[in-house]
Amino acid sequence: MTGKRITGLLLTMCMLLNACGGTGREEPKTSIRIGISLYRGDDTFINNIRSILEEKAKEYEQENGIKVTLDIQDAKGSQNTQNNQVERFISLGCDVLCINPVDRMDASVMIDRAMNAQVPVVFFNRQPVEEDMNRWDQLYYIGVDAKETAMLQGQMVVDLYREQPSAVDRNGDGVVSYVLLEGESSHQDSLIRTEWSIRTLKDGGVPVEKITGGIANWERSQASALMEQWLGSYPDTIELVVSNNDDMALGALDALERAGVTGVNVVGIDGTTPGIEALESGKLLGTVSSNKEIYGSAVMGLAVSKALGEAEPEEYPLSNGHYYWTPQEILIRPMEE
Amino acid sequence: MIGKRGGLLVFLYMVFLVVLFLMCSTDLIIREPEKKVYQISVIVEDDRDDNYSNFKKGMEQAAVELHADVRFITLYERLDAGQQMELLNREEQDGADILIVAPVSGERVADALSSRQVSVPVVLLGTEIREEKAAGMVTVDEWKMGEQLAGQMLQKMPPDCPVLVLAESGGPGAENGDFLKGAMGVLRNGGHRCRTAVPDKESGCAALLEEYSREHVFVLAGSADILTQVAEALADDSSQAVHAGGLYGRGSTLSILNALDQGWITGICVADEFSRGYFSVQRAVQFLEGDDGGPVVLDSYYIEKEDLRKPEYEKILFPIE
Repeated sequence: MTGKRITGLLLTMCMLLNACGGTGREEPKTSIRIGISLYRGDDTFINNIRSILEEKAKEYEQENGIKVTLDIQDAKGSQNTQNNQVERFISLGCDVLCINPVDRMDASVMIDRAMNAQVPVVFFNRQPVEEDMNRWDQLYYIGVDAKETAMLQGQMVVDLYREQPSAVDRNGDGVVSYVLLEGESSHQDSLIRTEWSIRTLKDGGVPVEKITGGIANWERSQASALMEQWLGSYPDTIELVVSNNDDMALGALDALERAGVTGVNVVGIDGTTPGIEALESGKLLGTVSSNKEIYGSAVMGLAVSKALGEAEPEEYPLSNGHYYWTPQEILIRPMEE
Repeated sequence: MIGKRGGLLVFLYMVFLVVLFLMCSTDLIIREPEKKVYQISVIVEDDRDDNYSNFKKGMEQAAVELHADVRFITLYERLDAGQQMELLNREEQDGADILIVAPVSGERVADALSSRQVSVPVVLLGTEIREEKAAGMVTVDEWKMGEQLAGQMLQKMPPDCPVLVLAESGGPGAENGDFLKGAMGVLRNGGHRCRTAVPDKESGCAALLEEYSREHVFVLAGSADILTQVAEALADDSSQAVHAGGLYGRGSTLSILNALDQGWITGICVADEFSRGYFSVQRAVQFLEGDDGGPVVLDSYYIEKEDLRKPEYEKILFPIE
């Protein structure tokens, strides 16, 4: 009897304690802090995204009255530096991290730290491997579908060739001779962009022939040096430059300009500000642009929701619970009649 | 064989060791000095951080070294003094220990400090108002910088050549700012007419340059933003460059340095922005730790294209963190 009474008393106390705990509401957050680490601050595309993130954070702050502090750091291409930055963000009490990984194969250290501190992570632009992404339900990735990008890049040349073959096959020999500028070999997009862009050209009926290609690591200067070399090795041969991004396409244009060569079509990817300027001035044939407004908004929208402890925003539907793919479009220079 | 007494001694010795271990591990004997992390908010007059990239590097370096948590805040609208005051109050309410402010209006910040509207200490950056209530000041002698730049212009300008002075409508690059006052004083003493114009927000500097394109003028930009705009306008329409005898100004953003390298800008005056950022955080931490030092006045340097790669300027213009 006494035992039952004691048990009953204990149960009542537990229920009371539980009820008291339940009535204590969490104060809504009036301020959030987001740690952002960029793989390299001098990458034009990343810089564009960074500006949009800053803009969106301010907009959110003004619209909702919730203070958003962004701590933006440049990892300068060092995964070690980025790991330290993540550690610092966590010790500074960041509510969420937005990481543009230096080495997508080596995101596990950052993920470990974030998981231990229970800080959600929104990766962008460089996609961590699937096993890493599946380790925790608070890991997200925002980027573009590399295959779609590549197919759009190929398609713009296919469309032009069908419409006006002489605009692509400049010397009229029935073969479009092209060179290929590739991004980092370790970047997932680099291989996919290369493969699918060329496959789309071939499937679209463009009689392409590869002259040569090289890795310029997404960089304008490296691409410029490669192109200069190719122009010397294959004079009057190159008709098309297929580049994995705009910066390298601009590098190729720099080399063409220096060599005084005209009539070579150059296509890029990213739709960066300098890329679009080159398009508008008629130097670049075309680019595939991810909608950077949506890209930046998705990163910021997801980050803010997670920082506030809310569910993922409905306007950015996630595939497999982790991934959001930003829409893309072809931007092509108008052809002369 | 250990006797009863020996056993007791061993037991006591073990207890002593355990107590000693516990005292050490709980900081009872060796107490680590607790380092307070100061919350510092930096509020600038701009709506972007382009003009502050080197400053931020210095600021972040000091933050790591001095255990400070520094937040860099830009305005929603450039040179909006009212908004800056709101942000000052917001940061104070959010628990900032000290503020570092590049004031849009030095007078408004000074008034707020005098009337205790802002009660946290404030370190002022580059203000032309000498505010005694400020916790510190990290500044460049803007008047001297203007004189230095104008002195260099005089050496290149033909006699009687007019100078088109492009000023901001407010803020540090305004016509009544020390930088332009210092420069115009020297130019006028040198016998040159100075015509001041404020670029329209909509049409920018290109329209103004067009207006003066029939005359051979030297152009002096009051701020880094205006200097960038003029350089871009000249690059876009190089025919105007024939009429602009030379373009001078201040600032060391990457686009300004590129324009200097490409020859669109003739000469610039710069301050060591990395040091400005570093010293501002250092000064803030020193103040919070009770060291009430005097103002830090940084030197300014005149730089032309040829100087860009000189080691002494390279470390100022392209600092490595």
